[in-house]
Amino acid sequence: MTQHITKSDWFGPFVVSVAAIIVVGILKPSFLTPFNIQILLLAISVNALVAFAQMVIIGIGQMNLSVGAIGGLAAISFAGMMEVWGLPWPIAAMLALAVGLLAGVLNGALVALTGVSAFVITLATLSVFKGINLGITEAQPFYEIPEAVKWIGNASLFGTIPLLFFPFAITAIALWYFLFRLPLGRTILAVGGNSHAAELSGISVPKAEIVAHAISGVLAAMAGIMLVARLELGQPSIGDDWLILSFAAPVIGGALLTGGRISVAGTCCGVVIIAIITQVLVLFNIDPFLVQVVLGLLILWAVGVNRLREIRGQRHVPGGAA
Amino acid sequence: MTKRPVLKATTAAILLGVLSTQASADSTTRVALVPGGPHPYFAAWEQAGKDAARDFGLAAADYRVPQKWELSMQNQILESLVTQGYNAFLVFPGDPVGTVAIANELAGTGAPVLALAGCLQDPSEAKFCMGTDTGNSAYLGAKELLEVLGPGAKIAHFTGFLVDPNTQLRIDAVARAAEEAGAEVIQVIADIDAPEPAEEKINAYLAAHAGDVDGIITTAWVPAVVAANALRRIGDKRIKMVGIDHDEVVMNAIRDGYVHGTMLQNPYGQGYIGSFVADRLRSGCEVKADAPFKSIALTDKFIDSGTVFAGIDAVDNYVASMQAITAELMEGFEDTYLTCS
Amino acid sequence: MADIEQNSAPVRNPVTAHPPVRQMTAVQRFFLSNEFGLIVLIVLFTIIFASISPMFLSNFSLYAMGRTAAVNIMIGFSMMVVIVTGGLNLGVGAIGVCGAMFGGWLMQAAGLHWLPACFGALIVGALLGATNGVMIVKSGLHSFIITLATMSVMFGAMIFLTQAESFREISPAFSTLGRMKILAVLSPMLLTAIVIGVLLWLAFKFTTVGREILAAGANARAAELSGIRVGRMITYAHALSGVLAVVAGLMLVSRTGAAIPSMAGQLGQDWLLPAFLGPVLGGNLLTGGRISVLGTFLGAFLVTMLTTGLLLMQVGAFWVQTYLGLLLLIAVLLDLARRSYLARNKLV
Repeated sequence: MTQHITKSDWFGPFVVSVAAIIVVGILKPSFLTPFNIQILLLAISVNALVAFAQMVIIGIGQMNLSVGAIGGLAAISFAGMMEVWGLPWPIAAMLALAVGLLAGVLNGALVALTGVSAFVITLATLSVFKGINLGITEAQPFYEIPEAVKWIGNASLFGTIPLLFFPFAITAIALWYFLFRLPLGRTILAVGGNSHAAELSGISVPKAEIVAHAISGVLAAMAGIMLVARLELGQPSIGDDWLILSFAAPVIGGALLTGGRISVAGTCCGVVIIAIITQVLVLFNIDPFLVQVVLGLLILWAVGVNRLREIRGQRHVPGGAA
Repeated sequence: MTKRPVLKATTAAILLGVLSTQASADSTTRVALVPGGPHPYFAAWEQAGKDAARDFGLAAADYRVPQKWELSMQNQILESLVTQGYNAFLVFPGDPVGTVAIANELAGTGAPVLALAGCLQDPSEAKFCMGTDTGNSAYLGAKELLEVLGPGAKIAHFTGFLVDPNTQLRIDAVARAAEEAGAEVIQVIADIDAPEPAEEKINAYLAAHAGDVDGIITTAWVPAVVAANALRRIGDKRIKMVGIDHDEVVMNAIRDGYVHGTMLQNPYGQGYIGSFVADRLRSGCEVKADAPFKSIALTDKFIDSGTVFAGIDAVDNYVASMQAITAELMEGFEDTYLTCS
Repeated sequence: MADIEQNSAPVRNPVTAHPPVRQMTAVQRFFLSNEFGLIVLIVLFTIIFASISPMFLSNFSLYAMGRTAAVNIMIGFSMMVVIVTGGLNLGVGAIGVCGAMFGGWLMQAAGLHWLPACFGALIVGALLGATNGVMIVKSGLHSFIITLATMSVMFGAMIFLTQAESFREISPAFSTLGRMKILAVLSPMLLTAIVIGVLLWLAFKFTTVGREILAAGANARAAELSGIRVGRMITYAHALSGVLAVVAGLMLVSRTGAAIPSMAGQLGQDWLLPAFLGPVLGGNLLTGGRISVLGTFLGAFLVTMLTTGLLLMQVGAFWVQTYLGLLLLIAVLLDLARRSYLARNKLV
């Protein structure tokens, strides 16, 4: 059993994150104050949903460049429907999720029907979604966010666990159960592992593709909605920065970009590692002109440690470099 | 400012088309107002252009926005505007140095080019720069902050992207103000002019260091908004903050006492006066050789379009005060800066 | 400049995926190719844009379009040579800016003539690219994650060393190149991109190293077995990518008359989309092993053209991006329709 755990994809990133928490905690005791943990969990909750949105698509062996654009569109739809139409927030949130779902289904359907690579399709829809966002907002934020939404974005249990942590935790468990326990989820990973073999064994590849993209769209929309609650503002530029994060976290967490191999826990660890690195740069007052250098070196360190463990654990795979 | 749904924007565009055809009998000047990218700061330019086109009978004064905050995108849109027959350009430089080449090329077509809101670095063929001295605005803001804090204060500075040379000017200006007041800038957090990183880093900073810092100065739009919200959230009125620009979040935080004040600029005035001057420059006027321009770090041909500090007493009538500045600038502009044949 | 394809590469396209029943002639293959599709699209959209806005074909518009396209083409080439190995290079922008800033420093601070300065910049690009390559090969990690990290390190180091200051004292001879017009419409930058394209095509078609890089990208294990040093080929490809990225950076220096740290945006991220657009529209497989220099060239050109056309048509300022995305989708679908039409009617 212990062997099983140390061999799993998420174990390496997990060790790295625990080590990082201990080291930073010792060097800067303020890192482990309840308030700081709350801030850390908040960042993790939203970023993890962004990473999940990409992870599902990585699982099916594709890439979704429009994750940020969908998140941004859902965010401004959520804020806009509350401000302009005066909808109560739960309905606005549901409709914003529907926007995400629709955008995802559109991506999936285009990929499945045309057979063109998801990379190209989502590159085009990225422009469409972001364009709609700018067309509606003209780059102006929506300000009138109901108090209830602001409260949700700020409230926390015992001063440490933010409310927004719960949607993330529930999603993570549900996603794990769906991908690894339910037949439909398993078909996604099967298609990602080898779409030809999956097709021969009777799996409907188009269906798996549409489902994966739909889930990705909903997750991105959730992240967008949660950011509106956190920022207390419907910023049109929400999502612009997600692209690299969305790939980095799953990959640090051990996902293979060729598809079929992803890990929910690993992706969470990837998100934790990135959140800790971001905090460290602030906590240790790194010269702003050196922040990027340190950030890059820390990412190299995190993936390097993980890789070292892998090499020690298994045989060396030649040519796995590409 | 009200939100414009799609429909309203389209009607406005149609209306604008009608207006410009009516006015074209008077003047052939077609002004393009081009910001660096989509940003709420520039929203007032659209109305300013429309008002100027109506008031001065311009053929057009259109607000044309690059879809992304990218230098190449801005260059491309400027080139296409030349092709479309625009003959006067009011440009916010995407980069003070990087935009010089395209500004010179525009000037080469015979069109007057003005740097608006921010400046180009000399030498350039822009007639002059009208807007905000970014360094000085940061300096004045920091001085206002340090005045309430007193000597020995520790302040943090949240600012925009380091690739923007203005950011360096702001960092230096805040440091200079702190030194003069015997205070200390204990941390500079840069590269956070986007909602997600700003939220993450500013909150992380406050979580760890809220007790060590007496004041905050922000010199970019998004950090100002996020920091104002963060201070309201932790309910800390001990930490004084000076923001930048007129976002509603910042203005409300000033009203409620969470933010000490903000450094305001005058985008409407820039667009309105700029459109007027561009037309005059096309109809025989020249910029006076001895015009009383100010010198700032970037250029020797600078006109301040109004950079003022607004605290709690000025927060509700800042629009009026900006209009007053605009009217005053407008009043004597032709006599002061231009010679017309 | 037609396709060069290593036979073992997996083909994803649904139409061409059917094994050809009869031997196709070179002409027939060309009609089915991505390159031909792109040419059709470019002609089609030129007609559309020109009929809506006659200014689209004015000298200045053509010149400006060629100049913008040249940079996008070079950025596309830079990503393309790494894509053929089955890898990615997120640091295209970061390396391009680092090299260009070094070139600017050589011209301003060291007072070098622009030719040696450019040469020095290209060497920096090659070194940075090779560093990526070596790290990828030695660590066995995916190029995505290595270049993600090194992009941050390289860009950060550049910002730290320059303190975000620009280099403005560029040789006038060099910045003239960015404004020069040959026969009123052609930019020397576009000419450079064409020459480099031809060189790249020759290199991948006729040199041993070029063929070995393709083989390594198509199937690393098989290449290894047939005696190709895969690791070295990957390093070469990344070094070449670095050089091409710096060429794009130097074009922008010449164009702006200054080396500025913000030329590719924060971390060089502004270049990411153009970097992928050209190669992917041009039919290079992300899995590697297949290169189409002409396709990348045409793909980058098509995107530049669509953007210019849309800007000219004065669609509502804030909606340009939506239309660009829709046009891209239409372009992809039209190409698909063309191919299935040809295949169904057995015209090829």
